[in-house]
Amino acid sequence: MKRAVMLAIFSVGIGIYCLIPYLWFALTSWKSPAELTAIPPQLIPSFHWDFYRSALEERGLLRYIANSVIVAGTATGIAIAIGSVAAYALARFQLPWTNAYLLLLLVISMFPQIAIAGPVWNLLNHLDWLNTYRGLVAAYIALSLPLATWILTTFFREVPHEIEEAALIDGCSRFQTFYKIVLPIAAPGIFTAALLVFIYAWNEFFFALIVLTDPNLQTLPVGIALFPGEYTMPWGEIAAASTLATLPLIVLTLLFQRGIVRGLAAGAVKG
Amino acid sequence: MFRAKNLCRIAALLFLCSLGNSFAAESPLRFVTWKSETAQMWDQPIADFEKQNPGVKVIREIGPQSSTQLHDLITQKLKNRDTEMDVFVMDVIWPAEFASAGWALPLDRFFALAEQKQFLDAPIRANRYRDQIFGVPLFVDAGLLYYRKDLLEKYRIPPPRTWPELVQGAKTILAKEKDPQLVGFSGQFKQYEGLICNMMEYIVSNRGNLWDDQKLVSTLNQPPALAAVRFVRDHIIGEIAHRGVLAYEEPESLVLFTEGKAIFHRNWPYAWSVANDSQSSKIAGKVGMMPLPYFPGGKGAAALGGWQLAISRFSKKSELAWRFVSFMTSHAMQKRITLGTGRAPARAALYTDREVLDQLPQLGSLLETFKQAVPRPITPVYVPLSNIMQRYFSSVLALPDTNIDKRAAFAARDMDRVLDLVREAPAP
Amino acid sequence: MRSSHRLAFLFLLPSLIFVGLFAFYPIFESFRLSFYRSILTLPWLGQKMVGWENYTDLWTDPVAAQSLRTTLFFVVTTIPLELGIGLGMALVMNEVFRGRGLLRAVVLIPWAIPTVVSSQMWRFIFNDRYGLFNFVLFGGDASRYLAPLADPILAPMTIIVAEVWKTAPFVALIVLAGLQTIPDELYEAASIDGATAWQQFRHVTLPLLRPALLLALLFRTIDALRVFDLVFVMTQGGPADATNVLSFYGYKKIFAEGMVGYGSAIAVGVFLVSLILSLVYLQILKSSRLEGTAR
Repeated sequence: MKRAVMLAIFSVGIGIYCLIPYLWFALTSWKSPAELTAIPPQLIPSFHWDFYRSALEERGLLRYIANSVIVAGTATGIAIAIGSVAAYALARFQLPWTNAYLLLLLVISMFPQIAIAGPVWNLLNHLDWLNTYRGLVAAYIALSLPLATWILTTFFREVPHEIEEAALIDGCSRFQTFYKIVLPIAAPGIFTAALLVFIYAWNEFFFALIVLTDPNLQTLPVGIALFPGEYTMPWGEIAAASTLATLPLIVLTLLFQRGIVRGLAAGAVKG
Repeated sequence: MFRAKNLCRIAALLFLCSLGNSFAAESPLRFVTWKSETAQMWDQPIADFEKQNPGVKVIREIGPQSSTQLHDLITQKLKNRDTEMDVFVMDVIWPAEFASAGWALPLDRFFALAEQKQFLDAPIRANRYRDQIFGVPLFVDAGLLYYRKDLLEKYRIPPPRTWPELVQGAKTILAKEKDPQLVGFSGQFKQYEGLICNMMEYIVSNRGNLWDDQKLVSTLNQPPALAAVRFVRDHIIGEIAHRGVLAYEEPESLVLFTEGKAIFHRNWPYAWSVANDSQSSKIAGKVGMMPLPYFPGGKGAAALGGWQLAISRFSKKSELAWRFVSFMTSHAMQKRITLGTGRAPARAALYTDREVLDQLPQLGSLLETFKQAVPRPITPVYVPLSNIMQRYFSSVLALPDTNIDKRAAFAARDMDRVLDLVREAPAP
Repeated sequence: MRSSHRLAFLFLLPSLIFVGLFAFYPIFESFRLSFYRSILTLPWLGQKMVGWENYTDLWTDPVAAQSLRTTLFFVVTTIPLELGIGLGMALVMNEVFRGRGLLRAVVLIPWAIPTVVSSQMWRFIFNDRYGLFNFVLFGGDASRYLAPLADPILAPMTIIVAEVWKTAPFVALIVLAGLQTIPDELYEAASIDGATAWQQFRHVTLPLLRPALLLALLFRTIDALRVFDLVFVMTQGGPADATNVLSFYGYKKIFAEGMVGYGSAIAVGVFLVSLILSLVYLQILKSSRLEGTAR
């Protein structure tokens, strides 16, 4: 009985910690302009949809969301594809320098992004990929490959050799073994890595800011950062846009929370 | 097998996305600027330009609202010789930097001296670097003092002419009004470029300056500058403003005023129409506007602001770009934008134009202020100097126990090191 | 080359191309630039190779020293908070009870929200007129409201709060993963031996959690040293440089002032600090693994 009470208290505490800041912001998005700047602040809004209308119609929120979906989705897809193949090679082929390579990847991810932003921008400019989806996607793939490769390698190492040996003996090529046998087994790991990459690309701000300056292509973080208007700080619209922007992510995490935890469980600890 | 299908899907998606970009209009003119709240600022003029020039498309790219952040974005494109940007806006403190770096196109062959004389003096001077002109002024800004006419009349306090008078007046009203939410002064004291504008207005009105651009040394540690800064820390921030202003840029400080929570307010001319807009302001009709106060023995100093249009040196369409720039800054267009947005134009003739004065009577009195507005010193290394000064001002204002003389000495030393870099600039 | 090695190389090639182009090359460029004096607004000074000058200047730069202190303060404050709160959350989530799934989902929310969004959110919460922070502390008494973002002492705290709020869940997940690999038998054996819950925690849980904790520590330290987005949106380095972390200082030097050489040196500095700390962690991780297997 005591245990149940303790658990309940802690759970509620954790719930408050995680939800209140976000709920406060979300509630703000439903206030009327007068309620927004009321001092002291009002807790319960009167459910005005003005800010949402303004955010969607006048500030093109849907376009930002669409751009983010395209960029993050493409980057995730390609990064996982490339990373899986690389991780398989690292896990299976008994290469002597595997650990060194993984360590090198880790070392790369330690470099501050502000410093590599300049040269990356330069490179994209030479390729004529600035203000294109592919430019930003390419940068995201490169920046998320270290973490993705790390997690995927760990998972592939866990796939039992015997199953693969059996397939090889039966006449499958290496590649067939890879995508018919190994991938399904390592699915949780792939899933985890994909989610991490997607969230990284969805959240990323700095590169998106300097690579995409065409408003038709800008992603959500950049769009929200550019909300501050000429005369005013439109907290209402920002709150509305933020709520809309995070709802898909929240739904995704709610749906896949078990998979996420399981994925991190297997990968993180063994790594 | 599911993986291969997904791979194909992804590849197709990527291909389609990249196609989407290549279907963009053939070689449009690209114009980078900040987003405006009104369509009359950029959207309508651009639409007009496209109508007058069939076949030409202008793509407006928006950058961050903050001048500081917009600067970082535009210079990123310029320093990598981006050919995809043709026209861009410049804050009044950028021309020297952009000219020296070879980023802005010299406009002398398009923008003759005779034509330059049609514009107000101060912005034209700010756009010149070494006998060449690099931008065309679009509008002009200068720091102004706004005040609550009703409160001053209620307590029979005349509009203050000196800073000490302002502080005294604010204290009197605060004591008598007994409103715990009312503050005496609302300004911009966050650690950003606007802080320099605000502080310069105090320093120059005390007959000091930020640095001596003849001798190329900092003058922050000279007595007039020190006294002015001390006054701001002890009397403005310390007595009549609330500490929140140390995180305020223009929007927040203006909202404090339009909600009726501040007696005095320092801002640019645009604040006049916002404060008198009964839709969004609680003090519409109760607002007074006047030149900024000064210190006894000194003269009122308004910081010069404003925006100009420039052409990128790396643009492949400079002729077309100039056509756009001259269209936007033409007499007719400036008049349209002024009437539509309330911004003060850079062309002198508009200040005596009947129509303009009818709708915006305050512009008549502003002309004198604009003519005497004080520019921040013009140098290619303005940004590093500004960062040093921002650090200094913010430190002494936010940390009341700091030793102003010592900090000023450090700031001056750092500024001198930067100024030394331009000492050996090659002759023009 | 053996055919399997050739195949391996083929598998790795796409990865190597991306990482080589967009990671290795920019990093080498940064290193190279840090040895030059390169001021973009003064091109007539040229790009002069100045050897270690940027680094010696950095060593004697009081702003950089302050920035390093600010960054380290940020790291040593956020990491223990994240670990502590994350560990607490994980312990609760590890228990079996109804609604556990919902709790896990809720815990993921702060981590799923983009940093730019959460920065704006916290900026609004700490607003000196309409913020939740002031309301919770002082209710309707607006005259006592604080302005955290305008105060050099409180502003770093707001950044810390915003960061910990977001990353404690991430730590919780990693720790939870670790907790779930601890076999129940160990706890049962300990119970039989008469150990209390606290003793079980100290002698069974913690030692076996060490790898997970160190991993979380490693990733989080690397990220905390490079914090940028939060500062960019919430405070822009101020007030009075109180939140001027190294990444932001480097950003101002490179992007705002055009002092590319010096800014690159700052970036290399951050990198070196990360590297040293990581090597230390990895050493501890390796030795703890050895310990673990020996046991």
